[in-house]
Amino acid sequence: MSLTAFYLLAVFIIAFAVVAVTATNMVRAAFSLAVTFFLIAGLYLMLGSPTLAAIQFMVNASAIPIMTLFIIMMTQSRTTPTPRLWQMVLGFIAAAAVLGFLRAAVEHGESQTTAASTAVLGEGLLSAALLPFEVASVLLLLAMVGAIALARRRAG
Amino acid sequence: MVTLGHFLLLAGILLAIGLYGVLTRRNLIAVLMSVEILLNAAALAFVSVAAYRDPHLFAGQIFALFIIVVAAAELSIGFAILLNVYRTHGVVDSDAISEMRG
Repeated sequence: MSLTAFYLLAVFIIAFAVVAVTATNMVRAAFSLAVTFFLIAGLYLMLGSPTLAAIQFMVNASAIPIMTLFIIMMTQSRTTPTPRLWQMVLGFIAAAAVLGFLRAAVEHGESQTTAASTAVLGEGLLSAALLPFEVASVLLLLAMVGAIALARRRAG
Repeated sequence: MVTLGHFLLLAGILLAIGLYGVLTRRNLIAVLMSVEILLNAAALAFVSVAAYRDPHLFAGQIFALFIIVVAAAELSIGFAILLNVYRTHGVVDSDAISEMRG
C-alpha cells in the first residue's frame, strides 16, 4: 500500500465530508456525501476487502444518495438555514473533544494487512454469524414495511 | 508504509466531522446525512482493525456489513418519518417540531 494513495484519498474524503456537513445547498451536500462514501470504498480496496468495497459502492455511494435526493425534492428543502452561533461553538467543542479522545489512535503502528477474500467473508457470514445475518434480513424487511406504512398517504 | 494508526485517525476525523454536522445542522435531512458519516466512520474503524489485527479475517468485516445494513434501515425509516413531518408541519426543520403536539 502506498502512502501517497492513502493521503490523497484521505484529503479528498475529509474535504468532501466537510462540504457535506457545512453546505447550505442540500443537493450539493447530498452529492458530496456520495463522493465521500465512494472514496471510502477506495479505502476498503486498500485494506484488501473488495467485497466490502463493492457493497459500500452499491449501498452507501449509490442507493442512499438517491434516496436522500428524493426526500430533499419531496420535502422541498433544497437549502438549509445556517447554524446558530451557539450550535457552531458546541459543534467545534464536541469535535475537538472527539479528536482529543482519539489522539492515542496514531500509536497503533501495525503495517501488515491480510486481505479478506469474498469466499472467507461469505463462509464467516453463513457459519459464525448466521443468526445476526438472519436477524439483519428480518430487520431490513421490517424497515421496508415500516417505511411504506409510514410514508403511505392516508385515505381521507 | 500505511499503518493502522493512519486509518484509525482518519476514522476519528470523520467521526468528529459527523458529530459537528449532527450538532449544527438545522434541517433534519441534513442531520440524518451527518449520522450516515458517523456510521461510516465506525465501519471504517472496524474494517481497518480487522485487516491489521484479525487472524480470522471476518469478524470486523461482518460488523461493517451489519453497520451498513442497520444504517440503510435507519435511514429509510427516518426519511419516512420526515415525510410525515413535512405533511403535518410544511417544513423539516428541527425548530418547527419543538412542541410535542403540533
